[in-house]
Amino acid sequence: MTVDSGHSTAEIRILQRCISDLVSVLALPATWSGGEPSQIVRTLLESLPGMLHLDLVYVRVNDRVGGSPIEMFRVGTGPPEEAGAAEIGRILYGWMGADPEIRPQRIPNPAGTGKLTILPLRLGLNGEIGVIVAGAARDNFPGQTERLVLSVAANQALIGLQQAQLLIKEMAEHRLADERLRLEEDELRRSEARKAAILDSALDSIVTIDHEGCITEFNPAAERTFGYRRADVMGRPLAEVIIAPSLRDAHRRGFARYLATGEATVLGKRIEMTAVRADGTEFPVELTITRIPSDGPPAFTGYLRDITERRQAEEALARVRSELAHVTRVTSLGVLTASIAHEVNQPLSGIITNASTCLRMLAADPPNLDGARETARRTIRDGHRASDVITRLRALFGKQAPTVESVDLNEAAREVVALSLTELQRRRVTVRTELAKDLPPITGDRVQLQQVILNLLLNASDAMASVEDRPRRLVIRTDRDEGDQVRLTVQDTGVGIDFHSVDRLFDAFYTTKTGGMGIGLSISRSIIESHHGHLWAAPNDGPGASFIFSIPHSAASGRP
Amino acid sequence: MIAAARFVAVVDDDESVRESLPDLLRELGFTVQAFASAEEYLESGAIGKTDCLILDVSMPGMSGPELQEELSRRKLATAIVFITGHSDENIRTRLLAAGAVACLHKPFSEAALVSAVNTAVRAA
Repeated sequence: MTVDSGHSTAEIRILQRCISDLVSVLALPATWSGGEPSQIVRTLLESLPGMLHLDLVYVRVNDRVGGSPIEMFRVGTGPPEEAGAAEIGRILYGWMGADPEIRPQRIPNPAGTGKLTILPLRLGLNGEIGVIVAGAARDNFPGQTERLVLSVAANQALIGLQQAQLLIKEMAEHRLADERLRLEEDELRRSEARKAAILDSALDSIVTIDHEGCITEFNPAAERTFGYRRADVMGRPLAEVIIAPSLRDAHRRGFARYLATGEATVLGKRIEMTAVRADGTEFPVELTITRIPSDGPPAFTGYLRDITERRQAEEALARVRSELAHVTRVTSLGVLTASIAHEVNQPLSGIITNASTCLRMLAADPPNLDGARETARRTIRDGHRASDVITRLRALFGKQAPTVESVDLNEAAREVVALSLTELQRRRVTVRTELAKDLPPITGDRVQLQQVILNLLLNASDAMASVEDRPRRLVIRTDRDEGDQVRLTVQDTGVGIDFHSVDRLFDAFYTTKTGGMGIGLSISRSIIESHHGHLWAAPNDGPGASFIFSIPHSAASGRP
Repeated sequence: MIAAARFVAVVDDDESVRESLPDLLRELGFTVQAFASAEEYLESGAIGKTDCLILDVSMPGMSGPELQEELSRRKLATAIVFITGHSDENIRTRLLAAGAVACLHKPFSEAALVSAVNTAVRAA
């Protein structure tokens, strides 16, 4: 290769300068490493004009995150400026077009006088990152080496900007992650606070225990109820603290069995048991135990409620109910007074008449001994009849403790029918009994059950009081159902009942009758339920309604 | 005073009354027939010849007062002695107002019965 020495000297000088510029340009990233895009732009503006003797440098970096772009320019060796950059950018883009091509263009100097040759350099393959515009008034701009230096500078800037953007994105992600973490921590704290508030403000005692049965939480309600301070019971075995001494062994056994077999009799159910306070007094509580859903060894929460007051209310209610039952009996007595008088007077009448006849027959001449014997026999029979009535009445209306005995429901029904027959006849009600043969006995209080039957009979009779267009027919039926129940049905041909309000029929004091007390059915139902049975109403195929009760028979209930 | 073979009908659903009362009335010298219901009495041939009707107030089916009405509807002025196990003064007053000779509450004495039946037979 031959080299023109004069020419080559100038060329060598240019190349030397070019290399030195390139080295400077390649060194630029060191000054902006880790910096922000605006710092990169500023560095470009500070280094390029001196290096390449430029009269104007304009840099625009699009903000790809969506904010406003960075636009700066520098005129000659003046300071880099932001103010007015947008105006200069607008003018430059007017010449270059929106998608600048890398070719020189001679334009009026947008930042001064005279003309400039500008060379746009895209940042990014399509200028998506931004643009660098270098401008010089001299004619020899841009030379080949200047183009090289500028394009290398643009590349370096591009890499720097991309890194900066990555950094920004990363930092944003970090910030986001940090924020999320902080929110989660806040939420956790709030949730803990809420839980603590629930524990603190709960009216029920809440006690948690670990897998060894030792107390791990004891809320303020528990402190109030049991009379311990939380600090005094934490870590102590639950059994020793709040469970009545008589139940402690059972508790320990149940707990051990659950841990060994997973078999639980008390989990997730409401149970009633006896608890004990710090001062040793025992009281009834309702207890629900749930297993705390978590990994690791099982832990449990117990919710305890002092039900002393509820118990007292229940007992009071039972007392009132018993009083009401007595009142109903006495009320029924009032209703039946006439009937009862009739029932007693009937045999008394027979006694007096027969005795009178007997005396006359004995006084005759000759005495009619056969007739006298017959009338005396009738006298005795009627005397027994009167006595039986009195016995039945005493059983039915005396207030006595419920007695449990084997009851033949047929016999009980027959007695009630016998006692109320006159009253029913007076009300023009015909009674038919359809009593099942071989009805197994039931276990219960015969008098109470007869109260119920009497009540149903009187109700049925009341329901037919206004019926004139059809027979007032009452059927009392006993039978066995398919299972282990003995059933008694009282069916009438009365006005029927509104089955929308059928449940209310059994409410105490709900009545459809103007003269009724309204406690009959409610009491009747409670009596039947105390015999483990059910009392309900059902419509008939024809007019009227049926009231039915069923009670398990003695063999089925397994009681004497 | 008591004419022989005066006819007394006893209508009562209670069997013990139907067996005891006729015996006593027979001892007192009456001819007696007992009926278990008002309907049975109406269907018998006895209504035309009854000198005294001893009638229970409450019975299944037609009651005593309804029989009283029915007889009066048929223009039969039968003398009626009511007997009842219910001591209801209102009913008694109403029955007497409707023409009954007497209304006896069970249990009644022989003397009360004799007096009531004699009054009835005299009225007949």
